[in-house]
Amino acid sequence: MKNFAYISIILMFIISCNDWLELEPPQGLTRNEFWQSKEDVQAAVMGAYDAFARMDGKLFKYGELRADLIKGGNNQPDNERKIAEGNIYPDNELCRWLDFYKIINYCNEVIKFGPEVRSRDKTFSDFLLRSYLAEAYFLRGLSYFYLVRIFKDVPYITEPTYSDEVDVYKPKSNGDSILLQVINDLKMVREWATIDGYKTNKENKGRATKAAIDALLADINLWLFRYEECIKYIENIEKLIKYELMPTGLWLELFYPGAAVETIFEFSYSDMLGEKNSMFGLTGRYSYQYYPSQKSLELFAIDYNSREFTRGEDGSIKKYSKTEYVIWKYIGRIDKTERSGSDQNSAPFIIYRLADIYLMKAEALSQLGRYDEALRYINIVRERAKMPVLNLPESKIVFEDAIIEERAREFAFEGKRWFDLLRMGRRDNYNRKNTLIEILVKNVPATQKRIMTIRLSNPLGWYLPIHKDEIERNPNLIQNPFYKD
Amino acid sequence: MKNIVLIIILLVLISIKIYSQQKVIIKGKVIDKETKETIPGANVIEYDANDRVVNGTVTDANGNFVIELKNSSNIVKVSLIGYNTITIKPEVGKNILVELEASEIKIEEVTKIGKASKNPIGLTNISDRDKVTASIKMDLIEMKDAGVLSAADALQGKVSGLDILAASGDPGAGSHIVIRGMSSLGNNKPLIVIDGIPQADPPNYKDFQLSSATAEDIGNLLKIPVQDIKSIEILKDAAATSIYGSRGADGVLLIETYKGRLGKVKFDYNYKFSYNYQPPSIPMLNGDEYIMLQLEEWHNHYGVFQIPKEISYDKDDPDFYNYSANTDWVKAITKDAMTHEHYFSASGGGEKTRYYASVNYINEGGTTINTFSKRFSTRINLDYFLSSKLLFMVQFNYNNNFTRSNFYFADRDMTVRKMAYMKAPNMSIWEYDANGNPTGEYFTPINSYQGDGYTFFNPVAVANLGKNDRKANGIMNSFTLRYTFTDWINLRTTISYQFEGSKSNNFLPYNAVGTDWLAWTVNKAEESNNDNTTINTETQLNFSLPFKSNIHVVSGSLTWITEQNKGSWVNIQSNKIPTVEVKDPAIQAQINWIGNGSWESRALGAAANLNYILLDRYILQSMLRADAYSGFGENYRWGIFKGISFGWRFSNEPFLKNLKFLGESKIRGGWGVSGRRPWDSYARFATYNNSATGHYINNIGIIPTKIQLNNLRWETVTSYDLGIDLNLFKDKIYINGDIYKKITTDILFNRYKIPSSSGYDEMQFFNGGKLENKGWEIMFEYRIIQKSNIRWSINFNTSQNKNIFVDIPDNFNTERSTSIGNGEYPKRLVEGEPIGSFFGFRYLGVYPTDQDAYARDAYGNILYDNEGKPIPMIYKNYVFKGGDAKYEDINHDGRIDLNDVVYLGNSNPDWVGGFGTSFRFKNFDLSCSFHYRLGFDIVNGVAIETEGMNNKNNQSKAVLNRWRVQGQNEPGMLPRAYIDHPANNLGSDRYVEKGDYFRLLNIMLTYRFGKKICDKLNIDQMNLTLSARRLFTITNYSGQDPEVGFDASDPFWIGVDRAQTPPPKIITLSLSVSF
Repeated sequence: MKNFAYISIILMFIISCNDWLELEPPQGLTRNEFWQSKEDVQAAVMGAYDAFARMDGKLFKYGELRADLIKGGNNQPDNERKIAEGNIYPDNELCRWLDFYKIINYCNEVIKFGPEVRSRDKTFSDFLLRSYLAEAYFLRGLSYFYLVRIFKDVPYITEPTYSDEVDVYKPKSNGDSILLQVINDLKMVREWATIDGYKTNKENKGRATKAAIDALLADINLWLFRYEECIKYIENIEKLIKYELMPTGLWLELFYPGAAVETIFEFSYSDMLGEKNSMFGLTGRYSYQYYPSQKSLELFAIDYNSREFTRGEDGSIKKYSKTEYVIWKYIGRIDKTERSGSDQNSAPFIIYRLADIYLMKAEALSQLGRYDEALRYINIVRERAKMPVLNLPESKIVFEDAIIEERAREFAFEGKRWFDLLRMGRRDNYNRKNTLIEILVKNVPATQKRIMTIRLSNPLGWYLPIHKDEIERNPNLIQNPFYKD
Repeated sequence: MKNIVLIIILLVLISIKIYSQQKVIIKGKVIDKETKETIPGANVIEYDANDRVVNGTVTDANGNFVIELKNSSNIVKVSLIGYNTITIKPEVGKNILVELEASEIKIEEVTKIGKASKNPIGLTNISDRDKVTASIKMDLIEMKDAGVLSAADALQGKVSGLDILAASGDPGAGSHIVIRGMSSLGNNKPLIVIDGIPQADPPNYKDFQLSSATAEDIGNLLKIPVQDIKSIEILKDAAATSIYGSRGADGVLLIETYKGRLGKVKFDYNYKFSYNYQPPSIPMLNGDEYIMLQLEEWHNHYGVFQIPKEISYDKDDPDFYNYSANTDWVKAITKDAMTHEHYFSASGGGEKTRYYASVNYINEGGTTINTFSKRFSTRINLDYFLSSKLLFMVQFNYNNNFTRSNFYFADRDMTVRKMAYMKAPNMSIWEYDANGNPTGEYFTPINSYQGDGYTFFNPVAVANLGKNDRKANGIMNSFTLRYTFTDWINLRTTISYQFEGSKSNNFLPYNAVGTDWLAWTVNKAEESNNDNTTINTETQLNFSLPFKSNIHVVSGSLTWITEQNKGSWVNIQSNKIPTVEVKDPAIQAQINWIGNGSWESRALGAAANLNYILLDRYILQSMLRADAYSGFGENYRWGIFKGISFGWRFSNEPFLKNLKFLGESKIRGGWGVSGRRPWDSYARFATYNNSATGHYINNIGIIPTKIQLNNLRWETVTSYDLGIDLNLFKDKIYINGDIYKKITTDILFNRYKIPSSSGYDEMQFFNGGKLENKGWEIMFEYRIIQKSNIRWSINFNTSQNKNIFVDIPDNFNTERSTSIGNGEYPKRLVEGEPIGSFFGFRYLGVYPTDQDAYARDAYGNILYDNEGKPIPMIYKNYVFKGGDAKYEDINHDGRIDLNDVVYLGNSNPDWVGGFGTSFRFKNFDLSCSFHYRLGFDIVNGVAIETEGMNNKNNQSKAVLNRWRVQGQNEPGMLPRAYIDHPANNLGSDRYVEKGDYFRLLNIMLTYRFGKKICDKLNIDQMNLTLSARRLFTITNYSGQDPEVGFDASDPFWIGVDRAQTPPPKIITLSLSVSF
C-alpha cells in the first residue's frame, strides 16, 4: 500500500510539470541544439559544399549531354539519352531541380542563422563570420547561375525554409534579373572572402576564395554580355599573380592529383575518405555510359599528324584500340595508366581555372573589338598546349568560332561546352542561332536530325522544362511555353 | 492534483473496520421451477446492505447448498446463467427450497440491455443501459467453439458499420478494421482498449509506414484468444469516443476479458482442430500451352525470329528435361494445412479473492508451403478485496508469437505466390540431367528464357530454403486499486505496463535463386529487433449523487491520464555469408548496414464525464477531455475534445405504458469531436544531420534535413449521430439503427509533397483538407421461438457509407501518377469524389481486323487525312492493328492518351453487413452467419499480370480464347499475344471488376452432452462442435477471392488484388469440457 501511494505521489509530481512533454529526438540535432558555435556554422557551410560536390555527375550532364563532345554507351540511362537526342519532356528526371535548391536552402540557412551565432559564441569573430557568409553567397550564386542557364526563369529564394510557416509556393523570377541580384550579392561579399587564408592548399582550391568569386562574377557578366564588367573581374584575378598555367607536360596534373596551381575553384574529392566523385563511374572504360563523340576525336585530331599532344591522347582522351576511346580526364594518371585503388574517384571537378579565365577574357575583348589583346590570350592557352599560334582576321565571328573551338579542346568533358554554345547562340539577339543548330545536329542520329532542327529553332527549347511534379505541386509556377504542347 | 494525493494517503491510513459477527447458517436446495429437477452449480451469494458480495457458495450435484452468513441482516441471491436471479430471505435452521425460473434473455446473444454496471471499466461512469451514444456491445460466448482465431475474426459481419477484412490469408497476418468508412488518409486504426487499458500504437521503427504496419500490428494486438474475451464493445460516434480524446477518431474497441467468479473452482478445457484449405486458384497455362503462347507472342511482334532454346523442345539441349515440364507452380506452393488449438482456464474465488487464469496454445498451419504461426498466451486476472471498501486488481497477460513466412523480396514487392503465377510452367521444380535423371537440386538456372534467376526465381526453392521468421513477446500487466469512500463516490487508480519485443530474421541462400553466391542479393542475412514499452496511468474519481428518489440521477467521473511510449530498433544486414547453413548476420561476413534508433512520446489528458437522467426517461450524457501530446509544439499542444448526447427512453413514458408490445426503447442523438495524432512524435522538430559524406576536405559537414512544423496539430473528426433502439414484443424483436455524418478536418497528410524550390521534397506532415463520411446502419434481430427446449432467432445487419473528399488543400498534388503504360492506372484524388477511385481507359474489346483500327469521329465515321487516307488509331507512336486491344477514344482525336482517361469505379463498398440465424433443439445448436460487401470495385491485379500476353510471364487459361487471325471476332475474346506490346494491357476497365460478394462466413453445429453422461464423467458440461468458415462465396469476381486487397495505406490506390494468399476455408472440430 505504501508503495502504491508513493508511486502515485511521484507520478502526480512528474505530471504536474509541463516540461514532461518536452521531448527532443534522440537522433540528429534539433535547431535549438545546432547553431551554437562557429564550428556549427562552418559545418553548415561544409554541408553545402558536400552536397554540391555530390552533383558533379549532374553538372557534367547538364554541360555536355545536349552538346556534341560526348556520346552515350549501352548503359546510358534512358532519360539521359532522351535529353541528348532532344526528346525532352517534363517527366525527365534531369528536369528535377531539387538538388540545386537543397544547396540554396543550406546556404540560406547559413545566411540567416550564421549571424545569430555571433551572440552565442564569443570566440566567433566578425571576420570569420563574413568569410563563411562569402562562401555561402558564392555557392548560392553558383547554384542560381546553373539554374538560370539550365531552366532560364526559376523561383528566386533567399530565405531558408526553416518552418512550415514559410511560403514555399514561389513563382518564377526572370533569369537575368536573378543573375543581376547574384552579381550584387557577390560584389558585396567579395571583400569578405579570403584570398588564400584556408589552412590547406586543397581548401584554397576547393573552397570559395576572392578569386573564385571574381571568376564567377566574370562568368555571369559574360553570360549577360556585360564585357567591360567581365574584364574588370578577370583583371582582379590576374593582379593576384597567385595562379599560373600548368606547364605543358604537367597539364593532366590538373586532374591528378588536382588542386593545381592553375585551378581557381574546384570541387574536391578524396576516395579514401569516402568523398567519391561520380565521374570515374560515368566515364570509366567499362562504365558503358559516356564516351568521346566523333566530334571530340576530330577536335583532338587523333590519328592525324596535326594532332593535339598535350590535351589530346592521354590528355583528354585515351585510345585503347581503333574503335575504343575513353574520356581520360577523370580516369587517367599523368603516367598514362588508369587510376586505381583509392585514387579512382578522387579527380576534382573543376569549375574555374586560369585558362578558362583567359579564354573568357579573350571572348569579352574580341566582342569589344579589342582583337589584338584577345588573340594574345587565345595564344597563351594554345602555346601552353604546344599548338601553333593563331593569326585571325579581325572579325567577331571568326574570333567567336576560334574561342569556342579552343574552349572545346581545353575544357572538353568539364561540363562547359553546352553553356559555351548557348552563349554563342544567344549573343546579339540570336544572330548565330543557325550555327548553333548546325553544330548540335551533327551529333545526333540521322533519324533525329530533322526533328532536332525544328525543335532547336525556338530558343525556349534550349532550356529544360520544369519537371511536371513541380508544376503540379506549385500552382504559381508556369511551365516554359515551349513544353506546354 | 494535490487533493488526490491527500485522498490516497488518507485512504492508506484508514483502518479496516471489523464488524462483530453472529453465526447464521442457512441451508437449501435449488430446483428448476418448470421441471422440478435439481440444479447443480448455481451461485448462492450473500450481499450486504450496500449490495456488495460478502460470501458465496455453489450448489452441489444434488442442488443442495449451505452457507454461513456474515450478518443476519444480509440478503442472499441465487443465480445461474440461463435463469432469473432470485433473492431469498435467510431463515435460519429451515431448509429453503429455491425454484429458479428459466430466463427469457440469454446472455449468449448480443447484449442489448445491459445491467446497470456498478463498476464500469472505461472512462465514463454510466451503465450500458443508459448509454445514449452509438455503441454496440457483443458477448462472445457463442464464438468459443467456432473456428475463429481472433476477435477481429469473430466480429466480421456481425456488427453494422464495421468493415473488417483479413489482411491476407497467411498465418498471423491480421486484419484491417474500418469503423464507419475511411475518415483519414492511411491512418485509420481504431483504438483498442483491453480491460480499460488503451493499447500502444504500432511501433514506429525503421521506415515505419503506418500503412503497411498498421493492419498487421492492430491485428496482432487483437490476437488475444477468443476464449478469454467476454465482450467487445464498439464505440462508433465521436460523442462516445471523444472521451478517448486524441486517439478516438477512428472509433474505439473496448474489450473485456473474463474475471474470476465467486464459487468453487471451475475448469474449462477446449480443443480445436481445424483443417484449412485454399479456394480454387486461377487456372494457369501448362508448359505446352505456355510455349505455344510465347512462340505466338514472338511471331506477332517480330515475324521471323530465332526461337530461344528454352522454348524450342530441343532434345539435344542438355537442359531439355528441365524445360519441357508441365509444372503447376501455384499448386506446388499451396498445401492444405491443419491448426491445433488448446485452451485451458481455471476460475473461481472466495470472499476475498477471485481469479481467472488461462493458457492458450495455437499452432496454425499456413496454406502456402513452409508457413505457419505458433502462439502461446496466458492471462491471469486477479481481484482481491482488501476490505469492503478497497479492491485491488491485477491483470497479467503474456503472449509469445512465432511466425514463419516465405521470404519476401521487399525491393520489388515480390512474394512467392506472385512468382508462382508468373513463373514459366515449362520449367521443372527439380533439376534433371541431360538423360532425364533428377539431380536432387532445385532447378535454379542463372539465366533462363524469362530472365535472370534472381528476378525469376524458383518459388518452391525460395519457399523452402528462404527464411523469414518473426518472434514476438508481449507482456501487458496492470494494477488497479479502487477505494469506495461512500456509496456514491469511489476512486480508482490504474497503472499499466505494456511491452512488446520482436525479432525478425531473414535469409536468402544463393541456392534458392539462380545467382552466384557472391552477388550482394544472396546469402544475405538480416536481423532486426524492435521493442516498444508503454506505461499508462489512469486516476479516476467516480460519483453518482445520492438522491433519495429516482427522479434525478446524476453520475459522472473525473479522470487524469498519462501515457508514455518508448521504443527502439536495431537492424543488421550482411551478405557474402560463406555457407547457406549459417543464417545469422553477425558472423564475420560483409556487413552491409547496421542501423538503430529510438523514440519516446508522452501524453497527458484530463477527462470529465457527467450524466443526468430525469425520471429514467430523459438522459443527457456529456464528455470533455483535454489532451496534450509531446509531438506538438507549444502552439497546438493542447487539444479539447468533447461530446454531448441526449436520449429519450420513450417506452417509459406513461402515455405509452399501454402499448404492450413496446419493450424498453430509446431514441438517441449525439455530437462529438475527437482527434487523431501523428505517429511520429518528433515530426515537429527541424533536425540537422550529417551531409552526404559527412565531410568536405577534412571539415565536418552538416545539413538541415527536416522542416520545423509549427502548424502540426490534431486531425479532428466531428461526428453527428441519430439513432434508435427498439425492443418489441417482450424483447422478441430488437432493432438498432443509426444515421451519422463524420467530418474530418485538418487531415493529416503524411509526406506531403511541396515545391522542391523550398529545398525539400516533402513535409513530413501537413494538416489540411476535409473528408466526409455519411451513412446509416441498422441491426435487426428477431427471436422467433423462445422455449427452453427449442429456440430460433434470426439476425440481420447492414450499413451504407459514402465517403467524399470535400475539400482538398489548395496546393495538394492530386495527381500521384499520370503513367498510362501497360498495367498502370493514373492515380488521382478528385474533390467531391470518394477516395479509393479508379481512373483509366475504357476497354471496348479487340479490333477484329487491321481496317477496324481506324480513328473515328463522334458519329462513328472513319477520319481521313489530307491525302484521303484513313487515320489509324495510335498510342504514343504505336499504330493499332487487328487483334489489338480497343480503347474508347473519348475525344475522337485518334490518339489514346491521358485525355481519354475516365473514372472507372471505386473501392468503397456501398453495403456492408451480415445476417445469420441460430437454432437450438434439445441438445443441438445450429447457427450460421453470412457476410456481404456490395457495390465496390476491385482492380484485378492478378489478371493484369496473367492476361496481358505481352511478356514472358505465365498467363491464365483465360488467354486460350485470344485473337489469332485477321477477322476473328468472338465474344469475350482477348487481344492477341504480342511480346512487348506497348498498349495491349493498359490500365482500363478490363481489369476493374465488381467485387460484390455474399459469403457463408460461419456455419456451426454443436452437440451438448446430456446431463447423465456429464454426471457419469463427473463433469459439468461437455460440448462437441463442428464448424466451417468461408465454406462458400457467391461472387462474380474472377480473381481468387474478393476479400483480398483492401490496403488503405495508399489513398490513391485502394482495393487492388495483389495476389496475396486469400483467407483459407476452415473446417473445425472442437471439444470443450467444463468441470
